Amino acid sequence: MSIQQKLEMFDEEEKNLIDTTYTKKIDVPLYTPTYKKPRVHELADQKKALQLIQRINSSNVTEEEKLFLKYAAYRHIIFSFSKIADYYAHANKEMQDLMEQSALVIVDFDKAIEYGFVALNDQLSNQYLEEQNDK
Amino acid sequence: MTNEFCVFILSNNRHDRVYTYNTLRDKNYTGKIFIVLDDEDKSHEKYVELYKDQVIVFSKAEAEKTFDIGDNFNDRRAVVFARNACFDIAKQLGYKYFLVLDDDYTDFRWSFDHNKKYVTNKYMQNLNKIFEIMLNFYKRTSFTSICMAQGGDFIGGEGSGLSKTFKDGQISRKIMNSFLCSIDRPFQFVGRINEDVNAYCYFGNKGHLFMTVAQLRLEQKATQSNAGGLTDIYLSSGTYVKSFYSVLYNPSSVKVRLMGQSNKRLHHSINWDATVPKIISEKFKNYG
Repeated sequence: MSIQQKLEMFDEEEKNLIDTTYTKKIDVPLYTPTYKKPRVHELADQKKALQLIQRINSSNVTEEEKLFLKYAAYRHIIFSFSKIADYYAHANKEMQDLMEQSALVIVDFDKAIEYGFVALNDQLSNQYLEEQNDK
Repeated sequence: MTNEFCVFILSNNRHDRVYTYNTLRDKNYTGKIFIVLDDEDKSHEKYVELYKDQVIVFSKAEAEKTFDIGDNFNDRRAVVFARNACFDIAKQLGYKYFLVLDDDYTDFRWSFDHNKKYVTNKYMQNLNKIFEIMLNFYKRTSFTSICMAQGGDFIGGEGSGLSKTFKDGQISRKIMNSFLCSIDRPFQFVGRINEDVNAYCYFGNKGHLFMTVAQLRLEQKATQSNAGGLTDIYLSSGTYVKSFYSVLYNPSSVKVRLMGQSNKRLHHSINWDATVPKIISEKFKNYG
């Protein structure tokens, strides 16, 4: 490749930098709930936990031990946080408040995450350009 | 650099190979750095010779009392003690924010350019500014901790999982290797090993927010080529035992499965939809 060709390529790269610096779209990492409200039983898969609880109930361990084992069995419930977020979007105020308290969804109050994420991307992009231009 | 921020480099038994220190200075980080050692490290004096009052020693036995180690083994060659000790050390030194790093970083690079194009050979020049940008984001949001990506996150290049996640406008809810933290947002690393995965799954499941800043990437010495540190414990048990710690803490959403193309190995696999709650806009809140 000739020096002239290399220089032209460099010019093209520079042109791309300038053209696109302030036009890029930044996606924000928020989940968009669906329009359809799921049924409550879809929010968590209890199959394994229920199997364990059935075995615990039919065992000969003490009642105190059974209680403890049942607590542990709940660790095997598989939550579907996307369906939970979908449900939240359709739930009444009281249910939403309780879901928030249990950290079943994270609400981006005052767009703190959204704006923070946009600012982070902007600042990093600018810093990247500054460093590349300084070289 | 703000005086409420410092960097901790966790090291153990390799005073002559604290690569991260020089890498930070080469990349124009001018703020405070402390090398964190446990009190069972016999090479303490050698570290002091080199790094003087930048060496901080904590009690491993005391640290052990503060978190769940997850087993009843006796192998104490683990970094989890130091990671957890950093919160108290920061408090004692009077720093509100701190970045916890390992000692084997040889470079800091960009992973994406300003147009989200994947790049590999763009080297960061000004870590003061980079850390300031990370701190700005951290302060204005409620993230418990954020981190830089690692070179290994981009195996597969543009087709790697993290690259795709970033290009899709999503975030990785992981934190590994480097941790920007605050004494006001405490959390614990749990389990003797795989403590970072255990932490982001266990606490992420309960609503703590974690994030990998995909644009920023640290590069490390190849694992298992740098003796000392954690290398020994990994060599003795591989990823097999390591991965099961994360299953212990999150049995409903973490499994162990075979991974890799030609060199198969057992590794943890996370069902993210079952691990972390979704972040949604306030517009979906019903104010009644």
